[in-house]
Amino acid sequence: MTVEPTLTPPVTPTPVVPRRRLHPLTPLLRGLRLAVIVVAAVSWNGFQDLGMQRWLLAVAAVGVLLLIISLVSYLATGYEVVGRELRITEGLLSRRNRAIPLERVQSIELVQPLLARPFGLAELRLEVVGGNSTEAPLAFLTLAEAKALRTTLLALSKPTPEADSGPADAPVPSLVETPPPTEHPLLTVPTGRLVASQLFRPQWWLLPVAVFIPLFDYQRGGDVGFVALASTVTAILGALLMPVRAMSGDWRFTLATAPDGLRIRRGLFETRSQTVPAGRIQAVMVESPLLWRIFGWVRATLHIAGVRVEQGQQARAGLLPVGTLADAELVLATAVPGFSLAQTTVRRPPTRAWIFAPLGRLVMGYQLAPTTFVTRDGLLRWRVVAVPYERIQSVRLRQGPLQRMLRLATVHVDVAGGGLPSVAAHQPVEEARWLALELADRARAFR
Amino acid sequence: MTAFTLWPEDVVWRRVSPRLFWLKALVRLLLVLVLAGIGAGLWWYTERWEAVLGPAVLSALILLRLAFLPRNLRSWGYAERADDLLVRHGLLYRRLSIVPYGRMQFVDVTAGPLERLFGLATVQLHTAAAATDARIPGLLPPEAARLRDRLTALGEARAEGL
Repeated sequence: MTVEPTLTPPVTPTPVVPRRRLHPLTPLLRGLRLAVIVVAAVSWNGFQDLGMQRWLLAVAAVGVLLLIISLVSYLATGYEVVGRELRITEGLLSRRNRAIPLERVQSIELVQPLLARPFGLAELRLEVVGGNSTEAPLAFLTLAEAKALRTTLLALSKPTPEADSGPADAPVPSLVETPPPTEHPLLTVPTGRLVASQLFRPQWWLLPVAVFIPLFDYQRGGDVGFVALASTVTAILGALLMPVRAMSGDWRFTLATAPDGLRIRRGLFETRSQTVPAGRIQAVMVESPLLWRIFGWVRATLHIAGVRVEQGQQARAGLLPVGTLADAELVLATAVPGFSLAQTTVRRPPTRAWIFAPLGRLVMGYQLAPTTFVTRDGLLRWRVVAVPYERIQSVRLRQGPLQRMLRLATVHVDVAGGGLPSVAAHQPVEEARWLALELADRARAFR
Repeated sequence: MTAFTLWPEDVVWRRVSPRLFWLKALVRLLLVLVLAGIGAGLWWYTERWEAVLGPAVLSALILLRLAFLPRNLRSWGYAERADDLLVRHGLLYRRLSIVPYGRMQFVDVTAGPLERLFGLATVQLHTAAAATDARIPGLLPPEAARLRDRLTALGEARAEGL
């Protein structure tokens, strides 16, 4: 039986979402955003040198120029969904056509910056493994369009068994007819608790010091110059920026489960709604800073591949900015089924490991939980890291000279993206070796 | 005794090529030569014997490490188990990496100019985790190619993505 070689060209799949432009207001908003930066940068010098009228003229000229640039880039930008790919075309001089396979998308975030909110516009951000920044920010779309596109992309991002047979046979929801998936709200962080949790951060303690030193100086008859005052104010603002930003970023934090994944909504000025499809969570981390332990509060973060590691804490998706242990259990049960803080009883290092961690030894340890590898450390600011066995990428066993003398070894577990402290430190060498091999076996068996 | 060694004993460990010793020795000797040059320069410039002390001590340390080099290189080993690759290394600081084949993203076979001079190659296994440290230096090119082909074949058969 011979097969006739067919000469028909490969069929290009019909676009699920035909090529579209971004919202027409995009160039205005983008231009405005750039203009604010430029004006802020040149204003003081320029204002003094040029005088009022000429300065206004210059600003207007810059504004028009930026508007033109934004307009051109707007006209050159478009997106379409073909098969299981999102394709984005951009650039006028050097054109770029990027195709993003949607099975590889790790999370989708719908962001509404303050400036875009009055216009009902939103930005859609996709996180992809291997991207060194947020790839494919689609800004701006109308809110309805962004939501519909998100639904479509999330539906296409599900790895299906028939993925190889081509996208044509899979019934794919089109952009218009898809009903929004029903969400089940899981948890909302009360505003009072969020504010209180941020007030209990070390940054605030320096505030009295920062205020009193200039005052003290003034009392002693020293004369407080403008520079001293300005620098004090700047320092105070800088110190307080972090808690305040954390507060506004996690304002009205709501976690919900939708059929297409975990949905995280937050934000005061800039609202964000992040969706993490099922199976994209690489690990979770629960920690409790010393001061929060008075109230029994904890914080939980998600570890997702593709989110930049360098950005550290900020880049990790917050799962629970602040909450009680009961809240954490609820959230963790959804994010990492089978993991429970209450059932975490770690195997601690033996007594002879005291030399490495005299006090930390009392809290650190590991546990082979039913579905996750759990490690705990931190005497004052305790921290629990849970990695589902199926997410383990590799296991490393380490032993230093002193450890060798004491017959101890340390097991490191690596997950996609890295930078996660999933370490069982200073365990007896035979146990560590067994653990490392057992983890490698489970990594395979739990797939 | 076996119970206290870090590395599992119930697998077949493959060793790296002894030629790696000569490569490492050459690198160290070149380093010592450079240091000797620096020392001579310093002596000539300052005309004080103390100036030579730094380079001399460094050279001595390098030569001392050279004495441990054969043992150190013997500590390199890799084992292909049914489902994962084990790589071990180290004398003072011992390490063992375990990478399930299914987690492999890609394999590198590299050979620098000095490695090529000695007819050696390095195989490195990469996973989605940046911290994965599965590098095997000092392989003969046929063995490197065999290992690469076997790893990619096994990786494809057990591919699991992230």
